[in-house]
Parts: sequence; structure tokens; C-alpha cells
Amino acid sequence: MTNFASVSPLKILEKSSPEGLGRGNLGVLIARAGVGKTACLIHIALDRIFRSGKLVHVSLEEGPEKVTSYYNVIYHDVAEALDIPNEDEYQALIDRNRMILAYLNRSFDLERLRANLNNLADRLEFSPETLIVDGLDFENTGIDQFKGLKKIAEDFSLEIWFSALSHRHIKDVNERGIPYPVNSVDEIFSIIFHLHPEPSGLFLKVLKDHDKILDGGRSVKLDPNTILPLDEP
Amino acid sequence: MYEIDKLRNIGISAHIDSGKTTLTERILFYTKKIHAIHEVKGKDGVGATMDSMELERERGITIASAATHCEWHGHEINIIDTPGHVDFTIEVERALSVMDGAILILCSVGGVQSQSITVDRQMNRYEVPRIAFINKCDRSGADPYRVAAQLRSKLGHNPVLMQIPIGLESEFQGIVDLVSMKAIYFEGPNGEEIRTAEIPENMLEEARTRREEMLDIVSMFSDTLMEAIFSENVEEEMIHEAVRKGTLSRELTPVFIGSAYKNIGVQTALEGIIRYLPCPDDVQNKALDLDNGESEVLLKADPDLPFVAHAFKLEVTPYGQLTYIRLYQGSIKKGDDLIITRTGRKIKVGRLVRMHADQMEDLSTAKAGDIIALFGVDCYSGDTFTNGNLNYSMSSMFVPDPVISITIIPEDNKSQNNMSKALNRFTKEDPTFKSYVDHESGETIISGMGELHLDVYVERMRREFNAQVSTGIPQVAYREAITQKASFDYIHKKQTGGSGQFGRVAGFMEPGENDTYEFVNEVKGGSIPTEYIPAVNKGFQSCLQKGLVLEYPVLGMKITVNDGKSHSVDSSEMAFAQAAIGAFKQAYMKAKPVLLEPVMKVSVEGPSEFQGNIMGSINQRRGMITSSVESGKFSIIEAEVPLSEMFGYATILRSLTQGKAEFTMEFAKYAKVPESLSEELKSNLRKKGKGEKRQ
Repeated sequence: MTNFASVSPLKILEKSSPEGLGRGNLGVLIARAGVGKTACLIHIALDRIFRSGKLVHVSLEEGPEKVTSYYNVIYHDVAEALDIPNEDEYQALIDRNRMILAYLNRSFDLERLRANLNNLADRLEFSPETLIVDGLDFENTGIDQFKGLKKIAEDFSLEIWFSALSHRHIKDVNERGIPYPVNSVDEIFSIIFHLHPEPSGLFLKVLKDHDKILDGGRSVKLDPNTILPLDEP
Repeated sequence: MYEIDKLRNIGISAHIDSGKTTLTERILFYTKKIHAIHEVKGKDGVGATMDSMELERERGITIASAATHCEWHGHEINIIDTPGHVDFTIEVERALSVMDGAILILCSVGGVQSQSITVDRQMNRYEVPRIAFINKCDRSGADPYRVAAQLRSKLGHNPVLMQIPIGLESEFQGIVDLVSMKAIYFEGPNGEEIRTAEIPENMLEEARTRREEMLDIVSMFSDTLMEAIFSENVEEEMIHEAVRKGTLSRELTPVFIGSAYKNIGVQTALEGIIRYLPCPDDVQNKALDLDNGESEVLLKADPDLPFVAHAFKLEVTPYGQLTYIRLYQGSIKKGDDLIITRTGRKIKVGRLVRMHADQMEDLSTAKAGDIIALFGVDCYSGDTFTNGNLNYSMSSMFVPDPVISITIIPEDNKSQNNMSKALNRFTKEDPTFKSYVDHESGETIISGMGELHLDVYVERMRREFNAQVSTGIPQVAYREAITQKASFDYIHKKQTGGSGQFGRVAGFMEPGENDTYEFVNEVKGGSIPTEYIPAVNKGFQSCLQKGLVLEYPVLGMKITVNDGKSHSVDSSEMAFAQAAIGAFKQAYMKAKPVLLEPVMKVSVEGPSEFQGNIMGSINQRRGMITSSVESGKFSIIEAEVPLSEMFGYATILRSLTQGKAEFTMEFAKYAKVPESLSEELKSNLRKKGKGEKRQ
């Protein structure tokens, strides 16, 4: 079995939380525009798929074709890094176990998501273990909506990963060290990652790991082009 | 004087019976292109200009032309005919691709119906900005406010009423323009005299409220207007600019009202067309650069740039073929040489004409942005013309092979002739549609990209060409492919008197990449003389036409020949070709061949409440759903489904979704038929018997 875990951003959790985010929980990845949020989320998605789980990718900005091509590019990088011989087989695994739900023109709401997930389960027997939500506008999403999403995670027994867009000029950080725009809703998230470019490279930091607040202590350096880990955490 | 900002290329799109013909007729009358108004179901026995077949025959040219030209207040308008049927055909797609804007006609009684939804969705796909005209306000039960609300609720538009009616139903007298805050009446025998007056006292309050609502919506598109509203200093031009901005970005749909039949509101809708719909310069058009891997390039409606035009419709007239073209870039004049990108062939521009309802105007020149017609040019619909300096195409040059075929049988001799004419025309219009006569059975076979695709053409044969035909059962174009390596070593030997034949071919076959055939010559030391190698290759290639499982063509094979033997007297090209055929037969079954079936990329679009039903229907058809897109009140479900499972899907989908969903499909790939179905399929196909042409 190819060791996909060795190139997954989630390997950063391997010692502290080997079970990962866990069903019923929410996780978030904070980064500025252009740093690689979507790419990093897709690495997380591939990690989940290769552990044989089904996954729904919710895209709020891009259509399915673009999302699919992101996956293809990132999978290609992973396959190259691991020198996978049977590339097509895994590609088929991705196609079978991933469903893309795109909500364009502000059509996303909890009721619709819930109805769509029910349809997937009832009509296609497709019950995901992971939901990736890319492009949610954290600045305009209130705590009630996150509570609704948490309820969905519990009701459908899945873990949900979000991306959150931060801004260079907004430096707000709460007392627990969680930056804007997650600072006012951090309590609802079980895991909080921060993807942060520094002069010495691109780092993925764990700011919160379940009940542990880590104050940016643990990090893994990533290749800024492929978002693959460069060294051991 | 060529002023591109004063040119509009617009489509008139409408539900059946919402009054498209009447409105077009009135537009042509007010723009002085015709001199009398005839009703669709006219008592005068003449009929309306745009749709009378009798008139067409009488005058010798088609009047229901693909594009007709008119002028209004210094602007030139090309009205592009949007085919009334909503079937997904390349013809409809092409008409949509050449229009810059559209006027969506809705019936004030019937409102937004499922066909309007389909047409509107097609326009969305082509990003066509539009304005709405709520027609038939004189009819009993007319309610333009309800219809405007449906534009939001059913089509997801952001409608804004630019006018309100003065009276309704039989009391419908005129309109209040909410921009100028004046009442407008249409007087004279045919409504051609416009009288502007003060708003009737009893409507003043409502008009003010409606104007406020309009300004609220429209000001979102202009900061200047927003500020002017606060300082109570709103000028008409500010409103027009904001509405235009919103319309062009397709975030706003200005709504006009009237009754074409009663000659009310047509001229104000024409004003709306020139004020709010885009000129060719406002729209981005892209071509594919064939010298650069079909990469997209932006075209600019500049008459001085190299010429690029697109043929979007052909019409056969007694004077020869009329080719409608849209000029995207550059200019054209009589006597110019043009190159057809598809064939590389040069053509000379003979006659350039512009269609004016029932008349043709000869032109000496035409410039970027315009829509005109060429006479006597031998080309296909969809062809791109350039001046030869660019190798651009307006649509992809890739033409997929047909995946489905059907036998058509004409009922009599007359139908036979008409059918031939129709097939000749269709193959020129649509490169994915093919027809041929099977030399074994003598039957005519048509093939294309799906059941619906062929249905549309069979229906057109009956309707437009009066060819009464019956059809056979659709046949899916299966293929065969090997799955593992197998070696061969075959001697072809015939030495029974006369000159003999001898050739030995050895090597192996293996699955090829990307469904292609590859031949590798690794023969060393001349064991097969070099001059016979092409014959060996040819021998193998001839076998690919008919696989040995069910005689379907073979896809994806790599043949490597590494040894052989020849005879100084008896070897010949024919002997080695025969040896290759023998070698193929020897190895093919050992290479574990499988049956491949065409898999289609299917896209189903319908109201979100039917998402579950649609998903279920695809799942039952061995389909793999890859995504679902939610937008407005609609869901678009994308899936890959084997073609053989898609027969009759249109009917099933209709019943599952109350006729509110539609689907399109295109060929995606060939995939292995699952083991569980393969045996059953093989025995069914064998039962159907030999002799049927494999497609």
C-alpha cells in the first residue's frame, strides 16, 4: 500500500491526534489569498479518500470542472512524489469516492446542503465521511450558521474541513492566539490550522488541536509549489 | 457611416404563443421595413411577414430569414431568428452564439412557462444579456406584475419594471414610463403616433412608488445615481446608464410591457433594445487558435484587424446557397478572397447581401460586428472564414465519431428524394451527423451523438422536407479492445501450383495508449525484407476494422513485429499482408479482448426540488455522478452514463420532473462493458445476426 500519509498535511496531527479531526467535528485552515488554501484542503481531501473514505467537496466559488482539475494537478504531484506505479487505479478511486457540490451565485444555505446530502445518501447510497467546504465567507457567516454546520456534521456523522480567508491588513488575534476571521468563532472548531508564508518558507501551523491550544508551536514546512511537506514535523 | 456602438445583434426568444411573430412584425413595420401589418392568423389571407410559407414560395426567397436587418433612431438592429423548438441542436446553439443580446417575450397571462425556462437557460449558457417584454397586456387575466415576479422566482433574474400599464385587459391603453415619469399612448391606425402626456391623476401615487422601487434596484449599479438619489437630483441619463450596466453584467433584467397585437409598447421596447442591450464591442468573443493547440484568443470588433467570421446558418434559395455570417473581426468587400479554416480552401466573395424582411440589399462591404449573408459560397454551417493570415476557428475542429446509428426507411419514392435532400442539408449543417448507405443491406443509416440528436433530424425530415420515413432500432457503436499482451508467430504459405505465397510474421500485440493504433518494427537482419514491412502494417490495420469478438472495430492496439521469414520467389506484399492477418487472428483471442461501450458525459438541469429524482434516474442507468451545481433555483447534475442506458431517457426525465428538467449529452470516452453485462450483451448482439453494418 502506498504511503499517502507521508505526504499529507494531516501528518502534523499524527502524534497528537492520530484519529484526525473525527466525525461530528469542524476543522479550519486559515490563510491569505494566493497562499494555497484550496491546494492544502485538497491534500487533506486526498488523504481522506486514500483512507477509503467517501468525500463531498463543497465549492462556493468555482465550478466542478475547475475543482476537478485542481484535484488532478495535486494528485499528479502526489503521485510523482510517491512514485506511484498504478496511477490510474488511484485516479479511479478518487473519481468514485469524491462528489463535488458547487453552490454558485450565492445559492449556498444549510437547508439546501442538508437536502443535497440526503439525496446523495438516499439516491446514490453515497454517505460521505468528510466534507470539504472551500470558499465560505467567514466574515459574513455568523456563529449560528456554524452551529448549523456542526449539527450537520453530527447528524450525518462526518467531519467538515473549511478554508478561511484572512487579510494581510487585519491583524486581530484573540486571547487564544486565533487570528481573524476565525477569532470570534474558534470555539466551534476542533482543529485550526494556519497556512502562513514566512521568509524561510511556507509553514502549516497547528493553532488548535481538539482541547489543546498550541500557540503556533507545532508546524510543518511545505513546498510552496506543491504544498507537499518538506521535512518531519 | 460605421459606428459599432450603434449596432445591435439581438435574438427574440419566446414561448410558443407569447407573440414572437406579432412583435417581430410590428418591429419591422415601425422601422419601415414592411409597409402593412398582417396578423398571424390574419383575416386578410396574407399572414405575418416572418412566418408565412406561402409568401416565401410566392416571392422566391425565404423571408423567415435567419437574420433580418432594421434601423431605429440611428441604430442598426440585426434580429436573429431563434428557432422556436427547444430541442438541443447545433442550429439553436449557433443562433445563440451570434447574438449579443436578446429580448425575452413573456405572455402576461401565461407567464413563465417551462419552455421559457429552457430557452432562458440556453441564453444563460451563452451569457446573453437580455431585456424582457411582457406581451398581451390587453388579454383577459393579464397580470404583468405577477409575470415580473416570476422572472425572479422561476428564472432567478433580477427584474426591474421600467414601465407600468395604464389600465389592463380590455382597458389597456398605454404605459407610464418610470424613467421620464410620463404617460405614453400609441395612436394612429397602427399605433405609430406616439403621444406623451402627464400621468393620469389616479395613477400618480402608484407611479411614484414603482419608480422608487425601480431606483432602489437600479442604483445598486451606479454610485453616481445613488448619490443623485440622496441629493434628489436624479437625471434620466443616470438611470439609463445604471440599467445598461446592470443589464450588460446580466445582473439586471429591465422589464417592458405592452401588447404587440394592440400596437402598444413596441416602440418603447425598441428604445430599450438600443439603450440597454450591448453593441458588439461590449461583448467578449473568443476564437480558437489552431496553430497554438486550440488555445482561446480574444477577438476585437475592429474593422482594421485581420478578418474572422463565422457561418451560423445556411439557407437554400432558388438563387443558390445563402450563408449567414457574423463578422467578428476585420472587414469584407466584394471580390475578397477568404479561407475556410476547416478545409483551407480559398473562396471568392461574390455577392454580399443584407436581408431586410422581404427584400435583399446588395452590399459592397461589411465590417466587424455585423451580420450579413453571402451568396453562392460552398461551405458548411459552423465554418469559420479568415483572410488567410490567421488560422482561427470559432468552434473546436475536433469532430467526435458518431456513437449511435439508426436505419431510416422512406415510405415512397417522393420521400426517398426528399430524404436525400434533407440528409445532404443536415450533413452540411452538423459535422457530428453522418449518413451513408450500407452496401450490404442497401439501407440508409444515419448516425450521430445520441438518440435525441437523431430524433430531431428525423422529425425535421418529416416537417421541413416532407420526407415520410420510418426508423429502425438504435444501434450503439460498440468497440473492442485487448487487455493483455499476446505473441504471434504465423506462417502464411500457399504453394499449390503456380506462383506461391510465403511470409512469416512474428512478434506481439499489446494494449495501446489513448485508443490509438501503433506499429513498431523491430525486425533485425532483414528477416522480413524492408519493402514488405508496410504490407505487414497494412495487414494488421485491416484487421482493426472488425474485431473477432463481435466484429466491432478495435481500439487501442500496439503491434510489435520482431521476426519473420521470407522466400526469394514466393514472398510478396500480398503474402506478408495475409501473414499479418493470420498473425492477428492467432493472437487476438489470447490477448483477452473485451467489449467497450460509449460513455456519455450527461448534464441534467432542472429545478432543485427534483435533484433527488434526477440523481436516482442516473444511478439506475449505471451512471456515475461526478458533481452537482446549485445556482439560483436550479441544480445541474453532471454524470458519466453508458449510452446504451440513455435510450428513452428524455421521456423518463420528463415524467420524473413534470417536464421541467432537460439534459444534454456528449461523447466522453469508451469504457469496458462490465463483466456481468458483457455475456448477456454478446448473446443479444449475436442474436440480432450478422450482416448489420457495424458503426
